[in-house]
Amino acid sequence: MAANTLERRAARRGWVFASPALLVVGAVMIFPVIFSVVMSLSNVSVTGNGIGLSGITGANYSVLVHAPRFWHAVEFTVVYTACTVTVETVLGTMIALVLERLQAGRGWMMALMLLPWTLITVVSAELWGYIYNGVYGVLDAITQAFGVPGVNVLGTPVSAAVAMGVADIWKTTPFVAIMVLAGLVMLPDDVTEAARVDGAGAWTIFWRIRLPLLRPALAVAVMFRILQAFGLFDLPYVLTQGGPGTSTESLALLGYRVLFNDLDFGPGAAIAASTALIVLVVCLAFLKVFRAQVGEQKG
Amino acid sequence: MARKRRLSWFHVAAVAIALFIALPLYWLIASSFKGAGDITSAAAFPPHPSGANYVNAFSGYNFGTYLANSAIVSVATTAAVLCLGTLAGYALGRMPLRGKTAVMTALLMISLFPTIAVVAPLYLLMRDIGWLNSYQGLILAYTALMLPFAIWILRNYFLGIPKEMEEVANLDGASPLRTVVSVILPQALPGLFTAGIFTFVASWTEFIVALSLNSADRYRTIPVGIALFGGQFTTPYGTIFAASAVAMLPIAILVLVFRRAVVSGLTAGAVKG
Repeated sequence: MAANTLERRAARRGWVFASPALLVVGAVMIFPVIFSVVMSLSNVSVTGNGIGLSGITGANYSVLVHAPRFWHAVEFTVVYTACTVTVETVLGTMIALVLERLQAGRGWMMALMLLPWTLITVVSAELWGYIYNGVYGVLDAITQAFGVPGVNVLGTPVSAAVAMGVADIWKTTPFVAIMVLAGLVMLPDDVTEAARVDGAGAWTIFWRIRLPLLRPALAVAVMFRILQAFGLFDLPYVLTQGGPGTSTESLALLGYRVLFNDLDFGPGAAIAASTALIVLVVCLAFLKVFRAQVGEQKG
Repeated sequence: MARKRRLSWFHVAAVAIALFIALPLYWLIASSFKGAGDITSAAAFPPHPSGANYVNAFSGYNFGTYLANSAIVSVATTAAVLCLGTLAGYALGRMPLRGKTAVMTALLMISLFPTIAVVAPLYLLMRDIGWLNSYQGLILAYTALMLPFAIWILRNYFLGIPKEMEEVANLDGASPLRTVVSVILPQALPGLFTAGIFTFVASWTEFIVALSLNSADRYRTIPVGIALFGGQFTTPYGTIFAASAVAMLPIAILVLVFRRAVVSGLTAGAVKG
């Protein structure tokens, strides 16, 4: 009984400690998401000193459903995310496997790999824009040295998307590699040792033993990257401006343009809410991974 | 023999990885020293190295202002996040709260939510209270944006501290806040470092919220300033790269010095299990 009262008092104190942070997050992150959903379901009128909301309507979503540009942005974001995250995961795992074997210089490699992560994405976009420049870019100079006539990689939809993917992969693969390496280091040695004694080759050991054991670490890295990639904005904003045409326009970029350039807050909110919805579905698909994260090390 | 060959294979791969990461960074630094006449040159080394771009970034553009704005916003955000996040992380890590698993799951999800989902209401909110183009508006937005992940890192560190520590402090009659500050906090210092670096880097590099809330030249942060450098038809690459190199320096030093803290944060509890 007494212990119970003590516990309850401790719990009350705990909420007092947690509440300032939770209030800020609630007011500035959660409330806006809900407000986006409300706005997307209302008639929004932009007035001189703000916006007015009236009624409940599906009109904003109906605008989206009938807009090929919206569906293109959905398709582009999904395909782009799937491709870049796949390449980053495979490449990141390969890099982690190399680094694991590396005896000397691993510290230096880790330091080097952290640099792209600290780079401002806008800066990396400008850098790759300079590299890809159709008139004087270094990529052009390199291909010409090999006898391939210069191509403007940012000039056609597919090559622009690939070029953007390369810039993305360059910046985020090291991040994936570090996460996977941390997972590799923690794998128990005795299992692989036992397999080796039983005569399993390196290839079999990797595919049948280490990779399955690595799955939790990979799942976290993949989830992080999928959700980050879904918010893709900085890179197309600076590198391709969503072009040529609207071929590399991501959901976030389209949403931003509709909101802040066209001042169409209704459809803009509908795009924002749809993005949130898709992300929520992805989160729920990964709920097991989230739960595993929260549940472990329980004190 | 076979062993020796495999070793060299890994070295070749390691060198290839290092080049893949380092070459674009080298190109950024090298190009920042190319004068206006050389910026279209693809020579491996700047033909006539010059510091003119660095001078121009500060005198021809307002890069000094952007640098100061980024520093103010990032430092203030980091301080606010660490204060609020430590209390929340401690409570969620060590106190008997009902529903804390749900709160942690929700926070982890929120920390991965795309910012586009909040940016329009945030803009309207800041406009209503007159905080567009201000420091406090961006700092408040960033604090909320960065808190969930920081709480996450801190909570994982607090979980690892032995329980006896605070029981002794309790017996000695220390108040709960006092216990946190003088007994638990010193133990959790590495976690504070990690959370602080992550918050700082995220604030330093954030773009979409800064672009939406602080577009006036006086209040632009570095990413917004650099993205809006130059006109519609020309991109002053030399100046951009000089500014970028300056923007990169403090954060690169910070991360390289505290490399361990960063790596442990990237894997914060994440991959145990």
